[in-house]
Amino acid sequence: MRHWSILFAMAAVGAVGAFVYAYFSPDWWLPNPPGDFHHSVSRFGREIDKLFFIILAITGAVFVGTQVVLVWAMHRFADETDSQGNPVRKADYFHGSQRLEVIWTIIPAGILVFIALYQMGTWAEIKYRSAAPKVPPLAEVTARQFQWVIRYPGPDAKLNTVDDLVVVDDLHFTRDRMALIYLRSSDVLHSFFLPQLRVKQDAVPGLTIPVWFDADRAGDYELVCAELCGWGHYKMRGKVYVHETEEQLRQWIDEKLAEQNRSRLTMTTAPNGR
Amino acid sequence: MVSRFRPARRLGLIGLLFASAGCSDWLSYDPGSLRYIEAEAMTRDLGPKPNLHGKPKLQAKVRETMARLYGPDPQFIRVPKGAPLMLGGRYLASHLREGDGQNARDRRIYEGDSFQDPKLRPQSGGYTVYRRNCLHCHGVTGAGDGPTAAFFFPRPRDFRRGIFKFTSTPTGARPHRDDLRRTIVKGLDGTSMPAFEPILSPSEIEQVVDYVIFLSLRGETELALIEEASISEEGDNDALGEDIVQEIVSGVFTRWKSAQAQVVNPAVARTEPTRESILRGRDLFLASDCKDCHGRLAKGDGASFVETKISDEIIFGGDPSKMADRVAALPEKVQALWKQKLDEWGNPLRPANLNRGKETTYKGGRRPIDIYWRIAKGINGAQMPGHYPSPFDDRKMWDIVNFVLALPYEPELLTEAPVAPTAGAPAVADARPR
Repeated sequence: MRHWSILFAMAAVGAVGAFVYAYFSPDWWLPNPPGDFHHSVSRFGREIDKLFFIILAITGAVFVGTQVVLVWAMHRFADETDSQGNPVRKADYFHGSQRLEVIWTIIPAGILVFIALYQMGTWAEIKYRSAAPKVPPLAEVTARQFQWVIRYPGPDAKLNTVDDLVVVDDLHFTRDRMALIYLRSSDVLHSFFLPQLRVKQDAVPGLTIPVWFDADRAGDYELVCAELCGWGHYKMRGKVYVHETEEQLRQWIDEKLAEQNRSRLTMTTAPNGR
Repeated sequence: MVSRFRPARRLGLIGLLFASAGCSDWLSYDPGSLRYIEAEAMTRDLGPKPNLHGKPKLQAKVRETMARLYGPDPQFIRVPKGAPLMLGGRYLASHLREGDGQNARDRRIYEGDSFQDPKLRPQSGGYTVYRRNCLHCHGVTGAGDGPTAAFFFPRPRDFRRGIFKFTSTPTGARPHRDDLRRTIVKGLDGTSMPAFEPILSPSEIEQVVDYVIFLSLRGETELALIEEASISEEGDNDALGEDIVQEIVSGVFTRWKSAQAQVVNPAVARTEPTRESILRGRDLFLASDCKDCHGRLAKGDGASFVETKISDEIIFGGDPSKMADRVAALPEKVQALWKQKLDEWGNPLRPANLNRGKETTYKGGRRPIDIYWRIAKGINGAQMPGHYPSPFDDRKMWDIVNFVLALPYEPELLTEAPVAPTAGAPAVADARPR
């Protein structure tokens, strides 16, 4: 049955083809701006993507190599029968090869050590608290079943005071500026995930975790929960908007504050609501 | 040639390839058509409450009238003329049936038909949006009895009586459309009602607002028909005549329509939240009946409710369907108090904790106008009464709103409060539950 090797060869070609196709399709590629889908908008995104491609290159080369060997072996050693229906070749049985086993243990171990060392800088930059940017916090984000409660400092620029702006599922920050948030959870585990910015951080009850990120393009992005947190997990989405300038962000906060301070039906314009 | 592989296995492998290639739509679960659930009063003996227990002919008449007015099931919706819905109810569905009998034809509704949207997107319809996002808590009929409902506190709203808690209309009135929209868009903080702004498009939100109103109208009409029929004799052939039905339906519609013009707007502008105003509000809080429910420190532990520790144990202390057993195990006096402190729907109530620091939540919204509405006209269906124009006049209303908004950041307003000037010493000393 030599034909089986063709089926497996097709599967391997299909798998490689999917990656080749993905490179040209915004729907299959990584979550990036649709118009320029090879550009990752955040600094961490570009670093993480670089690591991703290194791993893809390693696993891709190994995949292609092993598939070639597999298909070749299936083709070369397919069962053949003579005119009486007896096997032509005799099977060889052997207990094992220590040399082979050592080789295929040491090579992957070496690759793993390389990846572990190579990614350390990126991990430290994104996750180590000592690397947190020395900027005033943009907001405090509290995850709860099933929404993101986002608290921005009010006119006094201090968090957790009476003039704070409190909104739900609406994260705004400014382009080309590191944004720092404090992440909390008021009930169960959630995970703060900005797919386009390649930021993902669990929100853990009882902890306040600093998270920082940036974007080099203004526009709309997504915030989702990436930790199954209950029946309404799929409803836990938020909008992310990156403003062009700090003034625009300030203006948005002022508009929201005016609404939060609304005390009568007629719309007021002053941020203090009167 | 001899093969070691049987043909059946090869076919199986091919099937697996197809399934993994994404042709799995035909495998998806189809629950079939949904059906409305009847009001309890239709068949059960509810004692003094109006019901049609043991009156099958009248029951059939109510069922027939309901199907004629609102459609037989959620898949086929009818809307009586004059309903307070957008474009006569066109937001409710995805298709519009034109003509009758043999000539009946279903036409797809596009959002552009009703929204001047040039892209002409097919409209999902309120029923579809509701089925996908709301039904699992609020139930097919809007009775607050979806499969996930039992696990929530507070319980999801039962729309069938037209009573909604967080409204801007006068005490007891139907809600304004904006109130329902606000609840859907922003969610209800501190409850299981999430914000739908990031999930639904603006037009989907309008569609689902209409569907909630539709379920309310339907539920209210059903209850009114049962009440009307319950005073008739079983053999009365004239019961629920066309005139009576018309009167009931237009009564239901009028209550909704009139509420749309009655939004309460504070008569005077908000007083600046100065120290004086906040302190005046504090004194009002201590001198009036606020502390009886909300507690001397506004922590939601006032003496006129069952102690927080006990109510926690009853509400959260085990299987929600066995709450009645836990209540039955309470001392008789506590049980009696518990039964007084239920809302219109028979669910346990708790006064809000207004003093939780920055974690303080305001279910009905944190804007001054929201707090004003809650205090001025109370919370429908709950035991928060209206306080305007008495005991609080225009100025006092804003003082107390300013105090409520300041308290979470300045708990010393209450912990260091002197004995309230008008309340006298015993009131303050008695306020802590023992």
